[in-house]
Amino acid sequence: MIGVYDFCGHYDWTFAWLLRCEGGGPALLRDYWEQAISRDSQRHARDLIAAGGFDGMARYWGHTLREEAAGYTATAGADPGTGRRFFRLDMYDCPSRGFLLRNGLEFSPDYCDHCIGWIGPVLADAGFGVDHEHDHGGCCWWEIREADDPAAQSAPGETAGADDARLLPDWDAASRHHFARERRAAQQQRKEERQA
Amino acid sequence: MKAEGPLPYRDAKPVGAADFYFVIQATFAFVQARLGEDGLRRYWAAHGREYMRPVWERWRDGGLPAVATYWRAFFAAEPGADVEVREEEGRVVLEVKRCPALAHLKAHRREILPVFCQHCYFVSDAAAERAGLAARVCGGDGACVQTFLPRADAPPQDLARIATVSATEDGEGAAR
Repeated sequence: MIGVYDFCGHYDWTFAWLLRCEGGGPALLRDYWEQAISRDSQRHARDLIAAGGFDGMARYWGHTLREEAAGYTATAGADPGTGRRFFRLDMYDCPSRGFLLRNGLEFSPDYCDHCIGWIGPVLADAGFGVDHEHDHGGCCWWEIREADDPAAQSAPGETAGADDARLLPDWDAASRHHFARERRAAQQQRKEERQA
Repeated sequence: MKAEGPLPYRDAKPVGAADFYFVIQATFAFVQARLGEDGLRRYWAAHGREYMRPVWERWRDGGLPAVATYWRAFFAAEPGADVEVREEEGRVVLEVKRCPALAHLKAHRREILPVFCQHCYFVSDAAAERAGLAARVCGGDGACVQTFLPRADAPPQDLARIATVSATEDGEGAAR
């Protein structure tokens, strides 16, 4: 039986298999994250976030990160200037990446990419965008805003204070991957406002 | 660093997160949809041969007692499992009274591949083969009997003896 006690190990192995199997490759792996994970297995996250927005995010990640025994902080707030809300996660002990590191497993080229691979489409379909970085050492941060919110990502410590992953002693800035929020919608809106 | 205990990997929590069964089911469905039935069987067999290498190495070195030790520890870490592991003459028998995966998927009314239960045969038999053993499965859809025995003594697996997954009472969580 394929079980869940070592789920993160065979999840990573599955990424590697999808990359090298007959008919596989990077496109199949991205499709797997979007279709199998974002639209199928994590449909409960998709439903919560689509229906509840920021509150749905708090409910989903509150449940799932507790169940996975993650080390993280969640920050919900609003921009003091615009009043627009944001939701932020700072992970200092990712249970998923941590499992691989503790057990010396590294099957796929970049395990951490799977999170943006499925969370990105969930958020985009619900009308949100995310700025995100992960350092491949078990630390990452996510800052989620409405897709038409023109605010830039926060500076380190600006929204999460001392909990900001970028300020942690373990944060490995040299190996981080950065994913910038799609701002085309907001830029287009500003352009239209100027023209009006 | 590999664990010293009965399982090859160690985790910070004693029992796995049940929602990961959603991902396992979704993965099977995706591989079948994109690569066909043959692709799904190749995925399962590769899992047994490759990912489970540290497991079958223990079985190869420790024989049937190592098989029993592994499955006792494995099911103790699966949320909601009710499985009796018996060491009988020349074989190890797993009596799965409550499959944790099927129980969780059905409780959450998830669609389940009809051939979901076949993964236990294709995965375990591919791993067992590397240790000179075989795995045979009878039943399924929430309860089954799995037998591990020397490969030379094993009859062929009749896939018809592995149950297809049924719908839940309200018709959801159904096979597709």
